[in-house]
Amino acid sequence: MTQAVAAEMLAVQVRDLTRTFGARKALDKVSFDLPTGSFLSIFGPNGAGKTTLVKVLTTLTPPSDGSAKVCGLDVVEESVDLRERIGLISHNPLLYPDLSAEENLSFFADMYGIDDAANRVRELLVAVELDHRRLDLVRTFSRGMLQRLSIARALLHAPEVLFLDEPYSGLDPHAVEIFDSLIAQIRADHTFVMISHDLAKGLELCTHALILARGKVVLSAPKEEIDEAEFAATYRATVGTGVA
Amino acid sequence: MTVADTPTPPAPARQTGASLSWRQFKAILRKDIVMELRTKEMVTSMGIYALLTMVIYQVALSQAGTAFDPRDIAAGLLWLAFVFTSMLGLNRSLVHEKDQGCLEALLLSPVDRPIIFFAKAAGNVVFLLIVQALTIPVFAFLFLQRADQYGGDLWMIPLALAGGAIGIAGVGTLLATMSVNTKGKDFVLAVLFVPLMYPLLLAAVSATSAAVLGGDGYVQQFWSSMALVAAYDAIMLVAAFALYEFVIGA
Repeated sequence: MTQAVAAEMLAVQVRDLTRTFGARKALDKVSFDLPTGSFLSIFGPNGAGKTTLVKVLTTLTPPSDGSAKVCGLDVVEESVDLRERIGLISHNPLLYPDLSAEENLSFFADMYGIDDAANRVRELLVAVELDHRRLDLVRTFSRGMLQRLSIARALLHAPEVLFLDEPYSGLDPHAVEIFDSLIAQIRADHTFVMISHDLAKGLELCTHALILARGKVVLSAPKEEIDEAEFAATYRATVGTGVA
Repeated sequence: MTVADTPTPPAPARQTGASLSWRQFKAILRKDIVMELRTKEMVTSMGIYALLTMVIYQVALSQAGTAFDPRDIAAGLLWLAFVFTSMLGLNRSLVHEKDQGCLEALLLSPVDRPIIFFAKAAGNVVFLLIVQALTIPVFAFLFLQRADQYGGDLWMIPLALAGGAIGIAGVGTLLATMSVNTKGKDFVLAVLFVPLMYPLLLAAVSATSAAVLGGDGYVQQFWSSMALVAAYDAIMLVAAFALYEFVIGA
């Protein structure tokens, strides 16, 4: 994707990454680079290996073969250090429903060892406009509010790389608007890797795009090298190949 | 002011090292206790199950006649109830982490996996002790109503129960983590838990029996049984400590 970029400038570096589940290859020799500060949109049909790729890059699943580095840290050998520098926003809120918004963020602030956690939590609740609901249990929140709180959770420790796993799933238009404005606000300071089924939204946000199918990279390119009509045709043909 | 107008705060300072591990341990334990106080899922289900078991014992033994002395099997009955009750609760301790992907969020944080194990196991010890504290008076009321029915020392009973609870929580937390992603998790937990519990159960029943029955050499029997309980607890905690990173990542 960006062979000319020096290794120290790369936020993500993936080489021949393979992940098998039994006899099935969820990822098959996936390779790509992503420069720091970029926004990568990953497209592909269900079962293409997108979520597995993000799970490997976020240290949640070890690779079967090959290597991957995020922020220059190996996802296997340096996983604890790496976890301090990445964040994940998923279609699942990754929040405890029986804790309040403030308790959830305080808990994760403790997990990341954040100094002056109370102040940091309050600042982020204000930033995502949930300060007025800070004492309410998360189980009472709407989908949009959950996603905003999810962003606050992911930003608590000021990660360098943010992984977004279908973050727009289930959001109403107003929630999408709020989510977009939050992403726009932090865009300049972060590298993003987003899984999306929404081609228009994914291409609108990205600086780099990648299509996965059956665990393999079908297309990977910077946005300026992409012909959107051609990309859309490739994507439709890939989705047409069905589940990997 | 809109969300877009609100500046995101700058990066915070961070704690590291042993003090961070202690903070993470306390945070997970506190979170589990707060959530249990709100939902009362584990303690309620375990407590009711244990009390129902006591009632069933009472009905089952009601026809045994006056020659039957329930003290002879009191320790066995108690531990039978605690083992089955704990299986019910231990599964719940990990299931609520799976809800909404919370386990994923926990694993994404820079916490050493054994810290998660020790915090979850400590929470399970607390919940088991609460259930034991609720059950013992009911058991005593149903089967050991006269003070002269206690042959040993009363203080030995909570010590034996606490020693057993630590072992149950240690092994149970490890096995519940292994089984949480399986389809028949209740079945898987039971199949693995009971055989692994066997040595602890023998020692705990023996210690509790000495405490209830008394008799010649009961103090020696109690302490030798408690030594086995302590050895089992130590071995299982060390094994769980060593295996947890692999188990929770699988």
